[in-house]
Amino acid sequence: MNQSMWHASGSNALEVRELAVFFGLLLGAIFLVVIGIALLSLTRRHRGIQQEPLEGSHVPSFETESRLRIVVSVATALTVLILLGLTVVSVSVGRTVSASTAPPGSLPIEVTGAQWWWKIRYTNDDPRRIFATANEIHIPVGRPVAIRGGSDDVIHSFWVPSLQGKRDLIPGHTTVEWLQADKPGEYRGQCAEFCGLQHAHMAFWVVAETPDQFNAWFDHQLQPAAEPADDQTKRGQDIFLKSGCVLCHAIRGTNAGAQIGPDLTHFGGRKTIAAGTLPNTKGNLAGWIADPQNIKPGTHMATVPIQPAEMQPLIDYLESLK
Amino acid sequence: MSERRTLDVSGLPPYDISNKSPLFWGQVLMCLIEGSLLCMLIATYFYLRLGVDSWPGPGVQLPGLTFSTWALIPLIASCIGSYLASEAAKKNSRAGMLFGLGLNLALAVVFLVLRWIEWNSFNFTWESDAHGSIVWTILFLHSYDIVADVLMTVVLLIIVVSGKYGPRQRIGVHVDSVLWYFLVGIWIPLYGVIYWAPRLIGAGR
Amino acid sequence: MTPVAERADVDVLRRTWGSKPGLIGWLSSTHHQQIGRRYICTAFIFLLIGGVEALLMRLQLAKPENTFLTAVRYNQIFTLHGTTMMFLFAVPVMEGMGIYLVPLMVGTRNVAFPRLNAFGYWMYLAGGLFLYGCAFFNMIPDAGWFAYPPLSGPQFSPGKGVDVWAQMITFTEISALCVAVELVVTILKMRAPGMSLNRMPMFCWSMLVQSFMIIFAMPAVMIASTVFLLNDRTLGTHFVNPAEGGDPLLYQHVFWFFGHPEVYIIFLPALGMVSSIVETFTRRKIFGYPALVLSLVGNGFIAFGLWVHHMFATGLPQIGEAYFTAASMMIAITSGVQIFCWLATLWSGRLKGTAAVHFVFGFIFIFVMGGMTGVMLASIPLDLQGHDTFFVVAHFHYVLIGGALFPLFGGFHYWFPKFTGRRMDEALGKLSFWILFIGFNVTFFPMHWLGMIGMPRRVYTYIAGRGWENANVIATVGAFVILIGGLVFIANALRSLSVGAKAGNDPWEASTLEWEAESPPAPYNFPNLPVVTSRTPLWTPESERAIVVGLREDRREILITNVLEAAPHHRSVQPRSSLWPMLTALGLAIGLAGSIFAFYWYYVASVLGMIGLIGWFWPERPIEVDP
Repeated sequence: MNQSMWHASGSNALEVRELAVFFGLLLGAIFLVVIGIALLSLTRRHRGIQQEPLEGSHVPSFETESRLRIVVSVATALTVLILLGLTVVSVSVGRTVSASTAPPGSLPIEVTGAQWWWKIRYTNDDPRRIFATANEIHIPVGRPVAIRGGSDDVIHSFWVPSLQGKRDLIPGHTTVEWLQADKPGEYRGQCAEFCGLQHAHMAFWVVAETPDQFNAWFDHQLQPAAEPADDQTKRGQDIFLKSGCVLCHAIRGTNAGAQIGPDLTHFGGRKTIAAGTLPNTKGNLAGWIADPQNIKPGTHMATVPIQPAEMQPLIDYLESLK
Repeated sequence: MSERRTLDVSGLPPYDISNKSPLFWGQVLMCLIEGSLLCMLIATYFYLRLGVDSWPGPGVQLPGLTFSTWALIPLIASCIGSYLASEAAKKNSRAGMLFGLGLNLALAVVFLVLRWIEWNSFNFTWESDAHGSIVWTILFLHSYDIVADVLMTVVLLIIVVSGKYGPRQRIGVHVDSVLWYFLVGIWIPLYGVIYWAPRLIGAGR
Repeated sequence: MTPVAERADVDVLRRTWGSKPGLIGWLSSTHHQQIGRRYICTAFIFLLIGGVEALLMRLQLAKPENTFLTAVRYNQIFTLHGTTMMFLFAVPVMEGMGIYLVPLMVGTRNVAFPRLNAFGYWMYLAGGLFLYGCAFFNMIPDAGWFAYPPLSGPQFSPGKGVDVWAQMITFTEISALCVAVELVVTILKMRAPGMSLNRMPMFCWSMLVQSFMIIFAMPAVMIASTVFLLNDRTLGTHFVNPAEGGDPLLYQHVFWFFGHPEVYIIFLPALGMVSSIVETFTRRKIFGYPALVLSLVGNGFIAFGLWVHHMFATGLPQIGEAYFTAASMMIAITSGVQIFCWLATLWSGRLKGTAAVHFVFGFIFIFVMGGMTGVMLASIPLDLQGHDTFFVVAHFHYVLIGGALFPLFGGFHYWFPKFTGRRMDEALGKLSFWILFIGFNVTFFPMHWLGMIGMPRRVYTYIAGRGWENANVIATVGAFVILIGGLVFIANALRSLSVGAKAGNDPWEASTLEWEAESPPAPYNFPNLPVVTSRTPLWTPESERAIVVGLREDRREILITNVLEAAPHHRSVQPRSSLWPMLTALGLAIGLAGSIFAFYWYYVASVLGMIGLIGWFWPERPIEVDP
């Protein structure tokens, strides 16, 4: 249940949950009153249900009509007042939680939607402290995070229900929202705007960590990929660099620098592969590389011919990129 | 049953060529539809305009004022023909209808020729940029309506020349004029938007 | 008024207004009853198709990582489902009811423009056949019924599917506009003498407001689908291409400027049906007629001011957000007033619990709940969580099925005797109601929960372990319960066609004019047009009601009255039946279908359309009124 507005963490999502409860209870009560009156009207005038034939029409007494007129007028006035109140409450909550600007001191992160994965870029005033990753966002607990969203292809929507509502990622536009996690945890997000064939498999994780853990992670991400530590991974690196993989993927510290697909520099440290489709295990990775169309039909990930004997070293290498 | 009271309508006229005729109302509603279509395009024009820094894009000249402005004269004058035709239709004067429809047709053709000449002077197409797309769309749609109404006028002329027409065709002449007033009337704001708005509001932001 | 009784000669009237026999007669019919029936029957066939598509989707979602449908198929099916239900079922079926009932209710012989009416039906049929015909050639749209660019654009949706979708919109839109124009004129200019605007049945009011909404809203979808989408795809324009100064959000604005009113276009006629049913079965004049009329008109206006609530997630300026939240909540006031008025009517009436009334109560239950979730979604913070999740799917099915389909089914039970001369079986009707009502709630109530626990909509599958399994299974089971309810409903209708109890003119002792006509009505509707002296003409003693005499019977003569008081103004002769509307529609359909392959087909459409129109308007021999 880590992708749910009920499993809220962070001021934004908590406020929205409270608002939802308030709206739900109030409107639910009104619903019950309306249905109650409708059902009570069935019992009025002790008229049976199966009378036949119908009698002629009747005109209710003047008193009945004027009483009803008062009741309907009061009900209408109450409706207006309640809706006015709900509007005020909603707008005042919205002022903070759905703001299009982030509070000062926010951690800036660029999220670019792509069919069907998430390009993540941690921006910084210091160009040496900028890096790219994919499908997994780490954030420090207790600090607002500014998500600057965009898209290179079609419209996507960035949504981590446990932390914040959604914001569309629109080609030609930059949209901003901010979120904050109050307790450490892993929160799942998913694309919420229909974006084509694999819209269903376009998820990501937000990992909220203590500031210390986050800083360690951040510094590690800045590093180039780990050098192969043994022959097997060395061989895997060679296979990777000589294969078609490098046409799309980058591994910092090697010659692979293409920006079309996800950056794999620290791939081994991520929770999932193929944008939340599969847990990141060696077996799943082998299946994914061997036949991506089988796992995620329509994906833009190419089927790169890899000899069976080369698969294991390649997997071992990629998973070593912690 | 036979005791029911009755309302005898046999004394009412069997047709009516005026703004009380159903066909007139139908035509007005058609104009409303076309009008909301064109208003939506005006809104689109300004929406696109506000989204970019330079309007039109670099290297594109705004549509010229000369021909488009001169073309207003025959276009507005052609309403006189429509008016005469519809008045003649009400009075059932065949000569009047012939003259009015003929005048309207001649001036409309002059207008279309001027517009055609003007189009050949554009240095952009609908494929150039968003400005080209919206300008050409407005021009094309409006011209399409004009041509359709001109063809309708031709058909009415043929019917009136043949002499074998009834009240329904005379109502047709009347509502044809209504449509023409609308097409001329809606062109004035469209002309303002396409030719004057970018010059008055400024081409660059 | 004279006391002379000059009864009509029904044999002459039948010859004048009836259609010719045979296939040609069928194809050339311009009579509102026939056209209305065709609309309703065709729309129900599309309802079945759309329903089957819904079942396929529910089967696919019944378990995680299901492989029953591929991603491509699922996306095609949900696109077709939305498109079919909105454009090929909901709007046309309401139009069909309006075309059939409005001339009867206002006491005239046909709609104002019979040939336009026939043309509209053929365009609608052509649009439906075009969409599903192309499906056989695997040209199936898969970008959703809303077809947002850039996804629907040339780069990301190659193939012809989206072109088919966009041009299908043109067909159905032309059809809806034709109906809107003729219904407005029928209602404003052809009411029976004495039926001033404040004596008009609520159903006619709702069709009037709906028709005006169509006139202002439908051109917007033409701009979105044809001008923006189709031209960007086939002609290389740049309306929604950000690289050349266009903007994908422009499409959304224009689409929802149509798309939101569209919801009200679908359910305003249903509100009119509810008023009819409530009035008849409570045996009293509807409570709060002026308030109901004002609410309808208010609905019509407000509906154009809240399209942006479909776009809250695009990140709008705050001031716009506040405005559109307030506007979206305001629509609940006008809807609320109508509910209150019906409740007051039910409260003070002597209710008879027919099957139609069951459907009205189902409507109140479901529609009010949909309204409540609507108020939640008007709130931006809540919308940002609920938007594009199953919560929204639940919400709009509550509003549309509750707000439109239940009243429609109720109306169908109510007017079936008028359409066919026989009643539907009451017990089977109530049974179908209960199955549908339970099935509906079992299907859609869990979706509220699914949305709140994070399930986005338009996903062809979902991975296990998210807690979505149970609710999805329940929803799928519910969908099949709905299927059973629908089958009982259809079986009841088909069975009643042959064995239903004979209805007579006025089986419900209702108040409005359509019940004065025969069941099913003769082609001329009324031998003598009625004169109206009250809002509930049939509850006025017959001795106080006059009839119209003096209309020619040997030609299709109708009475034109003025807009406010419906005072007789002049007579008017309607054109005879004709093949030309069908031929014009055929010519246009060929051209428009071709236009998705090459632009010159638009010229083909124009030329064929023009030929059709000339034939259509060419003077008939002999000329019926001397010049």
